[in-house]
Amino acid sequence: MLSELRLGRRTWLRSAAALAGAGAIPGWFGQLAARAAIDRARKRSCILLWMAGGPSQLDTFDLKPGTDNGGPFREIAAATAGMRISEHLPLLAQQSQHLAIVRSMQTKEGDHGRATAHLHTGYLPQASIRFPSLGALVSNELADAQADLPGFVSVGSQGAFTQPSVAAGFLGPRHAPLVVASDGIGRRGGGEGGTLRVEDLTSPSISEGRWQERLNLLHEMEQPFLASRPGPGTASHITAYDRAARLRSPAAMRAFDLTEESEAMRDRYGRGTFGQGCLLARRLVERGVPFVEVTLGGWDTHNNNFDQVRSLCGSLDPAWATLLADLSDRRLLDSTLVVWMGEFGRTPGINPRSGRDHYPVAWSMVLGGGGIRGGQVIGRTSASGMAVEDRPVHVPDLMATICVALGLDPRKQNVSNVARPIRLADPAGEPVKEVLA
Amino acid sequence: MVLLRILLLIPALQVVLASTSLTAAPPNSTTLAARIDDRLSARFKSEAIQPAPPANDAEFLRRVSLDITGRIPLAADVYEFLADESAGKRAKLIDRLLEEPRFAIHFSNLWRAELLPEATTNQQAAELERGFENWLIQRLRSRTSYDQLVRELLTVPLPASGQPAEPVLRDPARANPLAFLAAKDSKPENIAAAVTRSFLGIRLECAQCHDHPFAKWSQQQFWSQAAFFAGLEKRANGLLAPLTEAIDRREIASPKGGDKIAATFLVGSTPPWERQSPRVAYARWLTSPENPYFARAAVNRLWGQFFGVGIVDPVDDFHDNNPPSDPELLDELAAAFVASGFDLRFMIRSICQTETYQRTSARTHASQDESRLPARMVVKALTGEQFFDSFVVATGHRDAGEQGNARQQFLTRFALAGPISEPETSVQQALTLLNGRIVAQAAEAEQSPTLIAITQTPHLTTSMKIESLYVSTLSRLPSGPETEKLLAYVAAASPDRESERLGDIFWMLLNCVEFRVNH
Repeated sequence: MLSELRLGRRTWLRSAAALAGAGAIPGWFGQLAARAAIDRARKRSCILLWMAGGPSQLDTFDLKPGTDNGGPFREIAAATAGMRISEHLPLLAQQSQHLAIVRSMQTKEGDHGRATAHLHTGYLPQASIRFPSLGALVSNELADAQADLPGFVSVGSQGAFTQPSVAAGFLGPRHAPLVVASDGIGRRGGGEGGTLRVEDLTSPSISEGRWQERLNLLHEMEQPFLASRPGPGTASHITAYDRAARLRSPAAMRAFDLTEESEAMRDRYGRGTFGQGCLLARRLVERGVPFVEVTLGGWDTHNNNFDQVRSLCGSLDPAWATLLADLSDRRLLDSTLVVWMGEFGRTPGINPRSGRDHYPVAWSMVLGGGGIRGGQVIGRTSASGMAVEDRPVHVPDLMATICVALGLDPRKQNVSNVARPIRLADPAGEPVKEVLA
Repeated sequence: MVLLRILLLIPALQVVLASTSLTAAPPNSTTLAARIDDRLSARFKSEAIQPAPPANDAEFLRRVSLDITGRIPLAADVYEFLADESAGKRAKLIDRLLEEPRFAIHFSNLWRAELLPEATTNQQAAELERGFENWLIQRLRSRTSYDQLVRELLTVPLPASGQPAEPVLRDPARANPLAFLAAKDSKPENIAAAVTRSFLGIRLECAQCHDHPFAKWSQQQFWSQAAFFAGLEKRANGLLAPLTEAIDRREIASPKGGDKIAATFLVGSTPPWERQSPRVAYARWLTSPENPYFARAAVNRLWGQFFGVGIVDPVDDFHDNNPPSDPELLDELAAAFVASGFDLRFMIRSICQTETYQRTSARTHASQDESRLPARMVVKALTGEQFFDSFVVATGHRDAGEQGNARQQFLTRFALAGPISEPETSVQQALTLLNGRIVAQAAEAEQSPTLIAITQTPHLTTSMKIESLYVSTLSRLPSGPETEKLLAYVAAASPDRESERLGDIFWMLLNCVEFRVNH
């Protein structure tokens, strides 16, 4: 009975999707949907720069110098007239024509776990529904099933939410991220990161020929069991092993080999885990990977906010600025959306430990690259930074914006694990049109 | 007046009547097993569902070993069980497994994962894990009844407000039921949410901030549960803060402001207050045979654990839009559980003795896909502990040097994610098994205890060696065609490379899906 219900919904959804593609739905949505259909011909990618811990907006993109909440940092002028950002992001300031700064993010979650889930999936955590992360959603829409490289790669991830199966949600293991970790000390972006690598990608103790023989043996001997037990368990196994084997193709292995890049290029990005992670992201996007998430952690600055933010910006600035310039040089920026955000912002008020605490009420995030009209600021907070005064943006709006920028239809539905259809973006949201190119 | 009294008694009467309908003597697991099979048979007939045939001995042995003791059987046990021709050997096996020390360890792993989920994401909660598991193991080994165990968990005595506070963590290995409250940060709302979810099968936490979107629970009811724990007082910051308790506190501040909310049971009544912690009254109500949710939630969880899908599924989500696949069956199981004195071993024995549990997991008829009740055994996921411990059995792997570190990494990499009925293998896991050091070593003739044993035992033919590999890993004998194919594989290389080829076969067995799942 349950499977009948699912089948019925799936059939209905397919027809709904066809209807949308034909532009049969009127109004602004219809125009967006039509544009989405056209844009699908151009392959798009997304790089999410995830600032774990909640970066302080008053010390990065929405400074309030000279006020009680201002802190010691000064503003500098960006290349774009009228735009001013933190003095500790000087290289990024030169790339401002590629940046749309949203200063009016307004959310309600102040808990790390829930807010991280909220910003990644576009939905608040709800009983039993396993919402997929943005990376899984994009992989599902844009990944090439025949490609050797996965549709979703996660670099330097931290914390429970980034477990591959959690990130994939109800879209299943096919769209779980491939995790690239640093094997060195200094896991924070500031430290001298070790080599970024996919763990256990190769088996050095055995020859390629013998490995292939083993794999062939495995395929042959597994067949009867696979055939007799069709279902999610066996399907997941086949998918995972197939993808793991394909990662061994010479092209796939080279994609992860940062030594192919010049020392100069590696220096420009910065030698820490985050910098090298951004370089890896560029390489992967170059090779058709639709979604790469690069994490920079350490932003949860309840204590000693200013020293820590300064240090983090020391890694963030060269990496992000070089990424934009590099993508632009390679003519990839028009088709690569670069998203910068954390799970919330930080209190304008400075606490007794020179820190700032969690603050979802008014914070900043930044969009840039493909589909985005750069060189502008969206929204405004009050003089103290305590409230959004103009153009509030909520998570559903942000997700819808990201979808449209990637040429995706935010209203498209996927069937969830409880048979309820879930749209790419919460239908309560509307894209921030000013941001879109 | 009399009518009202009778109406109030009906729920209690129903429980009593249901239990006496089975037998006047203490309930019998064989009888209960037969009842379960009869009910399901009738359901399958009426829905034109063709159930799968019985699992063979090897399939059953592996499954029940994993489900009761948390790991595959030893090779010697496989041979012994297959050779045993006595009647009732399966029932005897179930009894034997329930008496093994590993039973308590396996269940403590499962319940620790359920009751202390904070340990995977919070450093301080992780420090509480071992003590909590040790307490669970102690309780399970001493055959504490389930209701007693839950009461003990919730009513750990604490000193009064003015007294020196009780540390929640002394020796990390010491049996420590306080870990449960501590991991919830001793916050009433966290505890209420966890207790109702784990022991009543109700996800009340949606009602923490507003009236529940689907079910009938209100925000008021949520906080009236939390009020029972409002007396807990942390004497420092962090999860490991020592605790005292203000046992006179019977109400909690409402998150909306305004009047405080009084402690009230979910069914609306309040206890006669005594000069002791309100947690005692709460625990008594929670675990009472008259509580309509407690026994049902418990047997439903067990059913979900052994059959992969609960009668109510997900097992912690009882509500009106999520009805049981067989309400009468659930009620009957609950009544039997109560009548047994909440005896876990009795319930497990009853489940495992059913024909239903002992069906093969092979799909033999399309109608089996349609059934919410188990027409064939569901292929279930293995927990990280089950997989690692089975791996150790198969390979004889021993952690050289850093004791337990490889185990910890393995557990993190292979942690259960998602429902047990949807086993998942991630690319990461596949890479670890395909290329990782731990499997590579197992497959190298010089480094692997199992391989060494097999290749160096005199007078074993190649065919017998292959058989030993299968028995060690897949807990079964290879089929004729399998043996033929593998003999050909070995023969395809020169004789001096025989142990290399056997290593390849071992590698293949450790990587195949049959080893990765619980079928």
